[in-house]
Amino acid sequence: MTPDQTNLLQGTLDMMILKALALDQMHGLGISRRIEQITKGTFQVKPGSLFPALHRMEEEGWLVSSWGESENNRRAKYYRLTKAGRRQLESETQRWGRISLAIARALEAS
Amino acid sequence: MLSRMTNFRRNIFAREKTDRDLDDELRAYSDLLAQEKIREGMNPQEARRAAKIHLGGVEQVKEEVRQARTGSWLDSVFQDFRYAARTLRKNPGFSAIAILTLALGIGANTAIFTLTYAVILKSLPVPNPHQLVRYTFRSGTQDLGLSGPLYDALRKHEQATQDLLAWSGSNLAVERDGAVTNVDGALISGNAFRVLKLQPFIGRAFTDADDQPAGGPEGYQALLRYAYWKDHFQSRTSILGRSLIINGQPVTIVGVLPQGFEGVMAGERADIVLPLSFEEVLNAPHPLRHHPGSFWLTVIGRLNPGATLRNAQSNLITTQNSVRDEADPSHRFLGGFFAAFQLGVESGRSGRSSLKIIYSRPLIVLEILVGMVLLLCCANTALLVLARVSNRLREFAVRSALGASGPRLFRQVLSEVALLAFCGLLAGIALGWIAAASLVSMLAAIGQPPPLDAAPQAAVLGFTAAISLLSAFVAGAWPALRASRVAPLLGLKQNAVGSASHALGRLIVPSQVAVNVVLLAAASLLGQSFFHLLHEDSGFHSENAVMAEVDLTPDKTSETVATRDAQQIVDALATSPGVDSAAIMSSPPLKGWWSSSHYYSLDHKGAVHTDMQIWPEAVTPDYFSAIGTPIREGRAFNRADAIAAQVCILSVSAAHNFFPGEEVLGRFVYTGGSDVSLDGKYPASSQDTCQVIGVAADARFESLRESPERAIYRLLPQNQVGSDFFLVVRSSNIPVASAAMREAVRKTVPGAPEPTIFTFDQLVAAHLHQERMLTALSACFAAAALLLTALGLYGLLSRNVVTRRKEIGLRLALGARPRDALVLVLRQGLRLVVIGSGFGFVAAVATTKLLGTLLVGLQPNKPLLLIAAVALLFIVAITASCIPAWRAARVDPMEALRYE
Repeated sequence: MTPDQTNLLQGTLDMMILKALALDQMHGLGISRRIEQITKGTFQVKPGSLFPALHRMEEEGWLVSSWGESENNRRAKYYRLTKAGRRQLESETQRWGRISLAIARALEAS
Repeated sequence: MLSRMTNFRRNIFAREKTDRDLDDELRAYSDLLAQEKIREGMNPQEARRAAKIHLGGVEQVKEEVRQARTGSWLDSVFQDFRYAARTLRKNPGFSAIAILTLALGIGANTAIFTLTYAVILKSLPVPNPHQLVRYTFRSGTQDLGLSGPLYDALRKHEQATQDLLAWSGSNLAVERDGAVTNVDGALISGNAFRVLKLQPFIGRAFTDADDQPAGGPEGYQALLRYAYWKDHFQSRTSILGRSLIINGQPVTIVGVLPQGFEGVMAGERADIVLPLSFEEVLNAPHPLRHHPGSFWLTVIGRLNPGATLRNAQSNLITTQNSVRDEADPSHRFLGGFFAAFQLGVESGRSGRSSLKIIYSRPLIVLEILVGMVLLLCCANTALLVLARVSNRLREFAVRSALGASGPRLFRQVLSEVALLAFCGLLAGIALGWIAAASLVSMLAAIGQPPPLDAAPQAAVLGFTAAISLLSAFVAGAWPALRASRVAPLLGLKQNAVGSASHALGRLIVPSQVAVNVVLLAAASLLGQSFFHLLHEDSGFHSENAVMAEVDLTPDKTSETVATRDAQQIVDALATSPGVDSAAIMSSPPLKGWWSSSHYYSLDHKGAVHTDMQIWPEAVTPDYFSAIGTPIREGRAFNRADAIAAQVCILSVSAAHNFFPGEEVLGRFVYTGGSDVSLDGKYPASSQDTCQVIGVAADARFESLRESPERAIYRLLPQNQVGSDFFLVVRSSNIPVASAAMREAVRKTVPGAPEPTIFTFDQLVAAHLHQERMLTALSACFAAAALLLTALGLYGLLSRNVVTRRKEIGLRLALGARPRDALVLVLRQGLRLVVIGSGFGFVAAVATTKLLGTLLVGLQPNKPLLLIAAVALLFIVAITASCIPAWRAARVDPMEALRYE
């Protein structure tokens, strides 16, 4: 692991996954690549944390999954956001905005 | 929430499918990754390897996904239990012993708790039973109940309750299809259903209008108990409005009691319920309803909303004098009673239960003892499980090295114990119910159905499940903790492990011994008291005496006829072959009856000696020879006395009380009001005076546990035998005498119900039932405890010999004799027993003191018996140590040293 790769903060992985799926449905590897891409490689999601999170979120009702063909004709399990998932993404985004603002202010103050 | 439930179901029940799905998903991920790498220019083989490395352990990822799923904990609990079941099946011997041990403890507790629940805890099946209070007239444990006038006065003055009901159990003679049968009935006040807030199952309940002289405008009305209606009238609703003949009086059935309601007297079922006013029919021509000194009513009230028992108690304190004055303005009837008895009020939640009064304390004692047995069972199971854990430490070490977490190992051992406890629970419930049913049937009076319902109750089941859970935890926690703390390395060092289990055993075995000493002490104390009472001089000659309760019901309306019949029966019996003598008595001894009367005397110095509580026994002339109470002075009654009638015989203690230090024969004693002249020579009314012709030995009429009553014997007045009476017959051949009694009754009054026949020994057995039960049960508990302690000690020492095999072998190789090895083990066992006995001795002294406060009439323990009990424990302990000691002595040094 390269030094500038940061471990995901607890609780932020869900938000990343929701964000990654905001545009289109994707399979596991796609989600992981998409997160790398949107965070410019800062976050790398390992399968050991990705799959438990996907299954948990599916149980929460934020995602639904279905089997489909990948871009090069491979079978893969695709995940897609539900309405509840979208609502969750919104509230997570807002919450994150508040937190990061607060932290930024706190750091400026000192 | 719904989706969660579906997930849960899917995760639990479609596990394999979800698992396969996950497999596919991970394989697809890995394939896609490999392709990506190939596209980046890696060769296919290397790409696949790189993809696998990136994925990490597939199983690990799968495990993490599983844990993220809903219900994952349940899944792993199932897994634990499946594994536990498999290991237990593989060790049937261990499992059987552990299950039996737990079943013993759980079963014994279930049995005793079934009784405790039925006798002490169960409430009447009415709305808000906690609002009910019961009024008592008590002296110690003896509760007379209230008289009619006391009830009326209390009802008027009492302010803490909404209303008071009166209830009296009563034997009814019901005529059906030409035959007369005795039926358990009850007389209740018209407001009873309102106070209890009960609705009849069908028909209507009583109102105040039904409880009038002659039963109101439409005559007497009756209600039936649900089960009686079902059994005798096939649940027909057409029964309403039908008429029954009860004690010669037509009675109309107006309703059926709600299902499950059997009356307010626990242990006494009322099949037919009649209004209180029916008493005038039962006791014609001398009804008791308005007699201030006849106590026959159970009085129950419902507290005002917000009022408490304490309110009722303080209210009673302020009103009791006016209640007494109103019930008995002359103080002639109640004066003496109020000197000895006190009005009181207590919780009426369970109604009135004679069983509760008698058995509450013995049951508490039993609960304590049986709790100790459960503790022993748990300790033994703990030792067993611990030994198994020690045997399997290698397995635990390996599992821990492979990544099983401490909590997981803890949980696994605990699930094994929980599974054992569950099997123990099932066996224990079966055992407990069998035991409870036989205990309840032991409680039944002679010839009566069991007074309690020992059927499975939800509350009892809950209790049993709770104690099983508790035992599983108590027995499993320590071994589980040991298993969870095993370090991978330690598992390979067997010796360290052995000593660890031994350390716990050193704690458990002495505690077991201590508990055992307490149980033995309790059993010896209870047994000793029982045998003491059994051999107490009752004042009766119990051998060869047989008694009968006779009820000449059809002739109830005419007392002169009944008296003539009774006289005929006694005369017929006296001349029957095989009968030595026969008599009628007013109240049989040791039947739980209580009667008292008021007499006084004048001594030579002119002092008046009054006795408010003298036992009046009215008999026919041959009473003393029939029941066997010896005459100490003067003579017994003879036939000539029967005509003059104004003679009496005093018991020794009554004679001392009336004429202290003076001669007794020929003196007079008086009863009745103050209008009798007291000069001792010219009694104003011959009815109220009698001359002492003899002094009889003291006899215990009421209880063998207490000192004998002072008694006065008079001849039964010619016209007052009544149709219910007791016969006593002396005969060397009980079956012949019993047959003669039946025959005499049948011949004299055809159609009269069969007399209930009982021997004196049966009376004593029934009377001492409480002691007998306590003795038998505590002896069983002590025996079970001895067995458990022996097993525990045996197990511990055996293990110890195994773990110290090498050391023993070394000792023997270095010149120790086999006897030394034997002594080594024996000494170790004995040391544990001595330590335990020391603590046990101290605890036993405290426990016997506690028992003394809980049980009346308990004899102080003889130290000798306790020492004997401890000696027995030592013998058992040494026997249990002998086998491991013998094994130690037979260790072959060479083989032992070569081991490992």
